[in-house]
Amino acid sequence: MPVKVIIPTPLRQYTAKKDAVELDAKTVGEALATLTTQYADLRRHLFNEEGKIRSFVNVYLNDEDIRYLQREQTPLHENDVLSIVPSIAGGSLLRGNCSGPETGPTDR
Amino acid sequence: MSSDRYSRQVLFPPIGPEGQARLRRSRVAIVGCGALGTAQADALARAGIGALRLVDRDFVEESNLQRQTLFDESDARDSLPKAVAAARKLKGINSQVEVEGIIADATSANVENLVGGAHLILDGTDNFETRYLLNDVALKRGIPWIYGAVVGSYAATLTVLPQRTPCLACVFPEPPRGGHETCDTAGVIGPAVAWAAAIQVAEALKILVGREEDLHGSLLAYDIWRHRWQPVRPQRDPDCLACQKRQFRYLEGQAPTVMRLCGRDSMQIHPLESRDLNLEALRARLEPFGPVRANAFLLKCAIDSYELTVFADGRAIIRGTEEPAVARSLYAKYIGS
Repeated sequence: MPVKVIIPTPLRQYTAKKDAVELDAKTVGEALATLTTQYADLRRHLFNEEGKIRSFVNVYLNDEDIRYLQREQTPLHENDVLSIVPSIAGGSLLRGNCSGPETGPTDR
Repeated sequence: MSSDRYSRQVLFPPIGPEGQARLRRSRVAIVGCGALGTAQADALARAGIGALRLVDRDFVEESNLQRQTLFDESDARDSLPKAVAAARKLKGINSQVEVEGIIADATSANVENLVGGAHLILDGTDNFETRYLLNDVALKRGIPWIYGAVVGSYAATLTVLPQRTPCLACVFPEPPRGGHETCDTAGVIGPAVAWAAAIQVAEALKILVGREEDLHGSLLAYDIWRHRWQPVRPQRDPDCLACQKRQFRYLEGQAPTVMRLCGRDSMQIHPLESRDLNLEALRARLEPFGPVRANAFLLKCAIDSYELTVFADGRAIIRGTEEPAVARSLYAKYIGS
């Protein structure tokens, strides 16, 4: 199924500056797998060590959050658009772990 | 001031005289007074908000002037605290607005006092910690707040109405963190900030005049350089720890004493107890170690390859290191433990 994945500006440095990638996939999971095989550097920005989508990265199918569809199993249809929306720090920082390990609550 | 002042805005039907009167009765807290915060404050002061409280932990530097629209060269030369410099400008822009500039780092220890009395909170911060703290306090107190962040030419914003719309933690359950993360800087351009601030201010006006049905209801992301528009519809997470389970982990967390100011080669030291330092006495003590500059709010001293900026409440920003231990020992040696 030909679909388009929109790459947000902060992650474009890992997709050879491409702002959209067209690929063939039957599910959201397959699309992201294909994408991160094609652009290996992107993998660690989208997935954690257990291979799950990171909690500060959102993936939307058209304008719906895949967490409320069937997550990675969500089927894709022709000309669907997947958008990746990461959280950004601001103040010219792409990803700031500003306070280091000493602060903030522990991960759940 | 003549009654003409707000005439163009009052002519706009969704605001009208009633909306203008509501704005006049509104109190807004802006946390972070950099590029986003100054643009928000400028617009809201001009729109005739009743009271504006500006909270910022930093001072004006030359590199801010490219996009932080309330500051000028003399503010940078004088290293004025941003909250003070912005409040001064705003009073000249609209003397009818009650403006309060507070030099402080919003932490779990003080944030409820800083923003708890506001009708609305605007995000002008540059870091995740403060943002999740704002999300907690807004949910706890039932105060609407508007997230905004800008990097490069890319900006994102989300409007949060407690218990009615998705909160920041519904959309992004956790901030990026962990040892593997690094601070990547990508610069930032003024128009991207202006776009985000404009959306935030428009949303603020809608909330304050009671037109919540007009809110955009999206997570908006826009790249103003490449004209990539990415609006998506977030949903409330039924398992959200913050807005559903009301576990305010950031608000209940320990306020950090040492934090890295990402991308600035600086550390901030926040003493556990706020102090009332005698900056004159500190100046005399530091002068043997290096050149000291001071204003009524802070003192700066260059020692070896470091620059120490000390605020009257005992907080310090130490440039030249991103090592907590180094920052702590410099603080202990020169400012006192």
